[in-house]
Amino acid sequence: MSDAMMLNLLLFLPLGAAALLAFVRSNPNTVRITTTVAMGVQFVLAVLLYLNFDGAVPGLQAATSVPWIAEWGVSYAIGLDGVNILLVLLTAFLGPLVILGAWTAIEKDVPLFHVNVLLLQFAMMGAFLAQDLFLFYVFWEAMLIPMFLIIGIWGGARRSYATVKFVLYTAFGSILMLAAVIYLVWSLQQMGGVASFAFADLMQARLPLNVQITLLAAFALSFAIKVPMVPLHTWLPDAHVEAPTPGSVILAGVLLKMGTYGFMKLGFPLFPDATRVFTPVLMTLSVVSIVYGACLALVQQDIKKIIAYSSISHLGYVMLGLLSLDLAGIQGAVVQMVSHGLVAAGLFLLVGMVYERGHTRELSAYGGLARQMPVYGVFFIVFTLASVGLPTTSGFTGEFLVLLGAFTAAWPQHLDGNNLPLILSVTAVTGVVLGALYMLRFALTFVFGPEKAPHGPLSDLTLREKTVLGILTVSVFALGLFPDSALRKTELAAKTYQQLVSTSRLPSDAR
Amino acid sequence: MPGNEALRAMLPEHLLLGGLIVLIIVSMLRGARPLALPIALGSVAASAGAAFWLAASGLSAEPFVGHFVVTPTLLLVKGALLALALPVLLMSRSDFSREGLGDTEFPTLVVASLYGLSLLPSAASALVLFLGLEMMSIPVYALIVLAFKRPQSAESALKYLVLSGAASAMLLMGISLVYGATGSMALTAYADAMAQSDLLARTGVVLVLLALFLKAAVVPFHAWAPDTYEGASVPVTAYMATLSKAAVLVIAVRLFDGVNVAGPMVQLLAVLPLISIVWGNIAAIRQTNLRRMIAYSSIAHAGYLFYAFLGNSEGRLEAVTFYIVVYSAANLLAFALLPEHVDDEVRDRMETLDGLFHRDPMAASLIAVAMLSLAGLPPFPGFTAKFLIFKSVIAAGYSTYAVLGLVGSFLGLFFYLRVIQRMFMQPSSATNASTASPFAARAAGVLCLAATAVLMIAPGWLLDRL
Repeated sequence: MSDAMMLNLLLFLPLGAAALLAFVRSNPNTVRITTTVAMGVQFVLAVLLYLNFDGAVPGLQAATSVPWIAEWGVSYAIGLDGVNILLVLLTAFLGPLVILGAWTAIEKDVPLFHVNVLLLQFAMMGAFLAQDLFLFYVFWEAMLIPMFLIIGIWGGARRSYATVKFVLYTAFGSILMLAAVIYLVWSLQQMGGVASFAFADLMQARLPLNVQITLLAAFALSFAIKVPMVPLHTWLPDAHVEAPTPGSVILAGVLLKMGTYGFMKLGFPLFPDATRVFTPVLMTLSVVSIVYGACLALVQQDIKKIIAYSSISHLGYVMLGLLSLDLAGIQGAVVQMVSHGLVAAGLFLLVGMVYERGHTRELSAYGGLARQMPVYGVFFIVFTLASVGLPTTSGFTGEFLVLLGAFTAAWPQHLDGNNLPLILSVTAVTGVVLGALYMLRFALTFVFGPEKAPHGPLSDLTLREKTVLGILTVSVFALGLFPDSALRKTELAAKTYQQLVSTSRLPSDAR
Repeated sequence: MPGNEALRAMLPEHLLLGGLIVLIIVSMLRGARPLALPIALGSVAASAGAAFWLAASGLSAEPFVGHFVVTPTLLLVKGALLALALPVLLMSRSDFSREGLGDTEFPTLVVASLYGLSLLPSAASALVLFLGLEMMSIPVYALIVLAFKRPQSAESALKYLVLSGAASAMLLMGISLVYGATGSMALTAYADAMAQSDLLARTGVVLVLLALFLKAAVVPFHAWAPDTYEGASVPVTAYMATLSKAAVLVIAVRLFDGVNVAGPMVQLLAVLPLISIVWGNIAAIRQTNLRRMIAYSSIAHAGYLFYAFLGNSEGRLEAVTFYIVVYSAANLLAFALLPEHVDDEVRDRMETLDGLFHRDPMAASLIAVAMLSLAGLPPFPGFTAKFLIFKSVIAAGYSTYAVLGLVGSFLGLFFYLRVIQRMFMQPSSATNASTASPFAARAAGVLCLAATAVLMIAPGWLLDRL
């Protein structure tokens, strides 16, 4: 089977499984097993594609492109490149683990739930793989609907509020992006004469600065809401807290990367000149996200909220790395995306496992879990340290490279002699300290301290839970100890990104 | 031979007329009354099929010179509109069998109305246009009263009659003024009239446009729609919300064919629809009554549709037709699967949808698809349709209106999602002991779903032909 065929199969497998589950009535365990198998096969395909992926070859690999709405220049175009290869692997990797890890978390309407998870997987994969702006937008928006249902049906007490807030926030960003998408393609058509939504064609765009600024503002709003960047983050804690465990894991593990991926794949490379204008603002917001997210995590009493706010902080590093335009920083951002996906998924699974046993998310209700659940305690500490960024874990590789990049960044020229870059970099470093502070405070009362549990002692992890967390732990260390393989696959893409964003693309007569 | 050509070019109309005559005879024979619906379905299907067949055979003709034209595109529009009437007829079955009245009246009146509707895409003169519009509207007054057991139905019918009459009067006045200014009844006269600075001609055009706004329920001429929709029975509301709205838009496309909407006309054709979008979507949020909600949603959709008229006319027919088909299929899908209830009043309450997924997963899922398509969320075809409209608005150079319209459409998301929330996330309430919708209504739903699916996966199939 050729790589392109494999990639198509990988994309459509969850859709097929969802259709199967929607029309064939079966009992909950059959549904769960079917979903796991479908996701498992998808992961195997992703691994094969990852191994076949040659990091030294520029451009798309395993690509398919067929006209879809020919009249508008819309095509069904998917493919792998250095930007999305790791995220595709991450998405496919987390898929089966989510189902396995939260096997018993969902008891109500099991088939509908798994249909939604599979559809969400399909949409997320599609958004990462799409190489056509129309297709990307379709997948980008299509993610909303299954997530809306997952939070709204299986969520906590305030699920209705949380899910509507989630959809309205993200949809508002997208609607302005839609206007920008139409405008972008239309203005290119005016200049070049050919209507095309293909990324490759759009990257040739030469637009005046004011147009670039307007369009990037629209794209950035949509992406920044998804990341989320302070001050557009307020939907995230609500969505995370109310979502059921698998929902939180997917949200933190994959969905949040959509925003940073959007910036890296589309936002910045499409509008390089506007990016330079926005850099100081976005940089500042990234650092504010790092510090503010960490500070908020420090004072939370809800165990899910701590991790939700830590996500805001960790994704701030990704944005910082992308904006630094330094090769190390960009590579760090990519690693940090994957690392956060693994670590946050692990932490949300861990929190979900305790919630299933204790039925409360109050931090003060728990204590000394290490003695009640020794194995759980070990896993919890491992993921806490990975989140803090201890060397040998994936968190370290990502954060270290990003901070390295931030200090040696090629700053826009109008910031020369300005103290802002240095202040921002130093402040970002304090985020690491704050990160250690809130995670260790969390671990200290939660895992150590006097023994406390809401309804008597909690039982330790089952074999299923141990397996899932074990696999995640191995992956966290693998990425921390041997990031080379991943970095080799993405290095060229990072260089391409760096070059695209640093080269001005104003119309030739305006320069 | 001219007679032969007229026979062939008007085959869809003739089939409807034949069906109508048979229906009138059947309604007089007591024993044959149950045959009325199959006969109506058969004649409408045959008529739609004939229109598609003629379109595929590439027929271009003008059987009545200056009054009636057929081209493959216009035939396709006609066929699509007639095909959309099939689900309306199918879903009517259970509604009227209970009432004791309507099992022949409904199909007969719908076919009569469709005859007028089918003239509209082909109209080449203001005369035929007016004739078609009236022939389409008059049976609808009677259709509303069919739900006579509800006290509001007489009120609704009267409101619709009076306002529709006012619209017709305005239309006639406008037509006469344009005739006075240009000396021509042909639709091309409108392009001329719009190019003139003559006050008479301009007044005529504005009157015609306002009449269309009234018929399509564009703010501030919208107030009749919620009341009328609420008073009518479900299939009649479905008919009004989809086909009669579509008819008005087809008229508008025919009238403005070849007209570049720019200058002062933009004020009318952008501002009022924009207000419609915003107000329709905001007002729909507060509704507790399904048909009123759909009415406000249709007011918003009328706004999107009139947005397509900005700029030059290239691609306008394509955008409007595609939107109408997608919008109607979604609306009819939702109407067809609404849970049944012995009391029409209760059926209309939003609470009947509470927990529908647990009672009837298929109906809930399909209504959800309909709502998402109406909300314009990808991957549903409602998105493609909206994309097409806003693409043409931006291409016409009105980016600000496009952005404002899109933000307005965002407001609509809220109440469409609320319907889904009710169906999937609320427990069933005790009052809604509704029964599952019957087989015919489900068949109607499946028809609409098939159309929606085709337009979702391969929108180019329809777009290429328009």
